[in-house]
Amino acid sequence: MTAGLAGCASFSPDGGFAPVEAAAKDRLGKDVRWARTAADGEMMAQRVAELLAQPALSPDDAVQLALFNNRGLQARFTELGITEAELVQAGRMANPGFTFGRLKSVDGVEIERGIHLSLARLIAMPLIYGAEARRFERVKREVTMDMLALAAETRRAWVQAVAANETLRYMQQVKEAADASAELARRMEQAGNFNKLTRAREQSFYADAALGLARADRAQRATRERLTRLLGLWGAQTQFRLPERLPDLPAQPKDQPDIERLAMSQRLDVQAARLAAEQTARNLGLTRTTRFINVLELGLARNKLEDGARQTGYDIALELPLFDWGGARVARAEAIYMQAVQLTAWAAIDARSEVREAYGNYRTAYDIALHQRDEVVPVRKRISEEQQLRYNGMIIGVFELLADARAQVAGVNGYINSLRDFWLAQAELDMALVGRASLSLPTGPVAGGMAGGGAAH
Amino acid sequence: MSSRRNFLRGAGAITAAASAAAVSRVAMAALPEPVLQTRPDTMPPLVPSTGRPYNPCVTLNGWTLPWRMNNGVKEFHLVAEPVVREMSADFKAHLWGYNGQSPGPTIEVVEGDRVRIFVTNKLGELTSIHWHGQRLPNGMDGVTGLNQPGIPPGKTFVYEFVARRPGTFMYHPHADEMVQMAMGMMGFWITHPKAKHPLIDEVDRDFVFLLNAYDIDPGSYTPKIMTMLDFNLWSWNSRIFPGIDPLVVRKNDKVRIRIGNLTMTNHPIHLHGHEFLVTGTDGGPTPKSTRQYEVTTDIAVGQMRQIDFLADEEGDWAFHCHKSHHTMNAMGHDVPTMIGVDHRGVARQITKLIPDYMVMGERGMKDMTEMEMPLPDNTAAMMAGRGPFGSVGMGGMFSVVKVRKDQKPGDYTDPGWYQHPPGTVAYEFGGALPEPARFKAEGPGSMPALKRPTTPTEVKVRKPAGGHSGH
Ligand SMILES: [Cu+2]
Repeated sequence: MTAGLAGCASFSPDGGFAPVEAAAKDRLGKDVRWARTAADGEMMAQRVAELLAQPALSPDDAVQLALFNNRGLQARFTELGITEAELVQAGRMANPGFTFGRLKSVDGVEIERGIHLSLARLIAMPLIYGAEARRFERVKREVTMDMLALAAETRRAWVQAVAANETLRYMQQVKEAADASAELARRMEQAGNFNKLTRAREQSFYADAALGLARADRAQRATRERLTRLLGLWGAQTQFRLPERLPDLPAQPKDQPDIERLAMSQRLDVQAARLAAEQTARNLGLTRTTRFINVLELGLARNKLEDGARQTGYDIALELPLFDWGGARVARAEAIYMQAVQLTAWAAIDARSEVREAYGNYRTAYDIALHQRDEVVPVRKRISEEQQLRYNGMIIGVFELLADARAQVAGVNGYINSLRDFWLAQAELDMALVGRASLSLPTGPVAGGMAGGGAAH
Repeated sequence: MSSRRNFLRGAGAITAAASAAAVSRVAMAALPEPVLQTRPDTMPPLVPSTGRPYNPCVTLNGWTLPWRMNNGVKEFHLVAEPVVREMSADFKAHLWGYNGQSPGPTIEVVEGDRVRIFVTNKLGELTSIHWHGQRLPNGMDGVTGLNQPGIPPGKTFVYEFVARRPGTFMYHPHADEMVQMAMGMMGFWITHPKAKHPLIDEVDRDFVFLLNAYDIDPGSYTPKIMTMLDFNLWSWNSRIFPGIDPLVVRKNDKVRIRIGNLTMTNHPIHLHGHEFLVTGTDGGPTPKSTRQYEVTTDIAVGQMRQIDFLADEEGDWAFHCHKSHHTMNAMGHDVPTMIGVDHRGVARQITKLIPDYMVMGERGMKDMTEMEMPLPDNTAAMMAGRGPFGSVGMGGMFSVVKVRKDQKPGDYTDPGWYQHPPGTVAYEFGGALPEPARFKAEGPGSMPALKRPTTPTEVKVRKPAGGHSGH
């Protein structure tokens, strides 16, 4: 037994990093490095410098940068090392111990010397090693998951930061319009054409606009700092540049009819649950498989119920072996195993629901952004054009024209926000396809979208 | 140019639509064919070829309805229907009217005529016609529900009465009256005297028009029928200046103008260069003892006035409502006054957001007449009329009486602008003048704010002797 273990009890060449690297490549199309040597560190610093030298940081650049430069992620990688060390340790014989006892009694001093090998340790070694090996696997998955989560988080932060920049620019325009109307109102009062009330009303637009600008300014700073943190940047590096605008809405939203199956095949939490169930079976010594059960139809399988007609047009199976349980003595084993099976089903059902939700969010966000772009913004523009014509004909005054300009700016900003929400939904969907995603709850519908339009009369 | 369409031979569509269930072919054959007018221009007077002779009048931007004699009865056919009325060259309104136009054609008859008027309803709702000011049998007065049932869509009713007294009258619906009048249903009626009348002088030219008002949002076509007083288009015969024709006369013509008011407010109608007498009202000719020379006569709601004057001064004479808002076309009622407001800096700031922004109104509204800027579709420029010396700065209820010595009798064509004899036009003073305060774009305000005292001003009297040295 000892001989059998000896082979395993050495460090792997990749330190457990290979699956992380593979996930980065397959899932993100990005490189990820674990800075274990000075050369690694230098190479990564150089790549970071190159990325930062770009005229504007694209979302992919940002993700790559985070994978190289986020210290938290590097710290997580070291956990691989720690765990593997513990695994290797568990696979090695403990050092022989030496005991020296000196007991003093009425009869004199009794000295006991002994050299021992921990027999218990030797006996328990396969168990401990197995547990450590499973822990190592788990840590690998967790680190992979964290790496993917960081990528998703970075993508989201990038979107937020760029959108906040755009919003800030628009709020500056709104403030400019409000400035102009406030100043004009002041002069109107000075010339005797406005009373204090009318002037105050115009002034209040200015006050609101200034508030809006301050809020946009704060959001811009906060979102940028958040991105800066995820990218692990400090000092002069924080001067990194972002594009002026969010990427345009894609011509078509992604159509993914088999999104649930995709999630089943690649979600790390589902895979982990299934592995855990299989491990449990092995630990319990369950070997005689009678058939496989689809964990997603677990309840039905056990109740011997027929599934109704499926409407989605595709099938997802996530199967685990079902064992022939012997006598009552294996009742505990059965319960333990079935618990693992249920946990797998739970993970799978949650995963399916999450991807459905994430995909629904994505499609809705797309439709909303499209509507904002193709309906709301053009309508606002048309209103502004018509208002300009009315101003030309002295049918409305300059204050109505300014109010309308503010409304038009708000309409454009509404599109920026919806485009931001679309890209966030896209990042959440990508995340939901590989692991547990933090899906944001939708905000309630906003009543009366047409705020601030020039008063008609 | 009148286009005549026969109900029987004409487009089957009309017959089918109007009469599928309503008017039988036999009944239709008994009707005088309705005459439609397709143009909004002033039509030449309709000289009577049948019936008693009379001196025809001219409807400003309108026309007179032809009739047929049927066993000594004058038969007219009015068709109430939706129409598109060109109110000025750049503005058309979707109205309801009669025989292709709003207002409908003028009906001219002679005192003592027996008149039979067929009224066909081609609207979607009941209508009726009230013969405003006439003496007639009660059942012919046209008030729906009171004197008759409403004329249902597709049906034709007949009114018949004798035009008993000479004078100036109107006709308009008395069914869903607020809506149908707001939509432009109205017309003029003249009863000429059958013989020489001691109170009715013979005149050379006899013009008629109705005062009417609409509320049509700039860029739209249909009047807002719920508007009570805040109309934005003040018109004569549903035309607005500069879309209104001039009143062309020959020098020394005796001129009569008959005006009926079917708006919701009074109009002080003012003539330049001449004095006139009010020779007739709703009640007929005025006694001579009551006549006095005037240059403005106020015409109240629902009233008619007939004014006579001798056009003995050559020139182009303004003729308009003296309520100055009524000589404006569609304009905002809520536009802030910008007079005297300094735009330095602000204009540039606004232009950044609104590239087409242009400062207007610091000097007043005359800017409007000097800038050619795009307006909403189907919107009459506010004060677009141009004269020989530039913009007239007028719209709405404004026209020109053109008096020319060489205008032929009976010729109503526009003779062009008046050629002033040398030395008879106001001219620029050649001497030195202090520069008046003006708005200068991006320059100092034309009217700096007065520093008004915060405490009431006291008159300070310097006393000949006293310790109080003024402070
Ligand atoms: Cu008036």
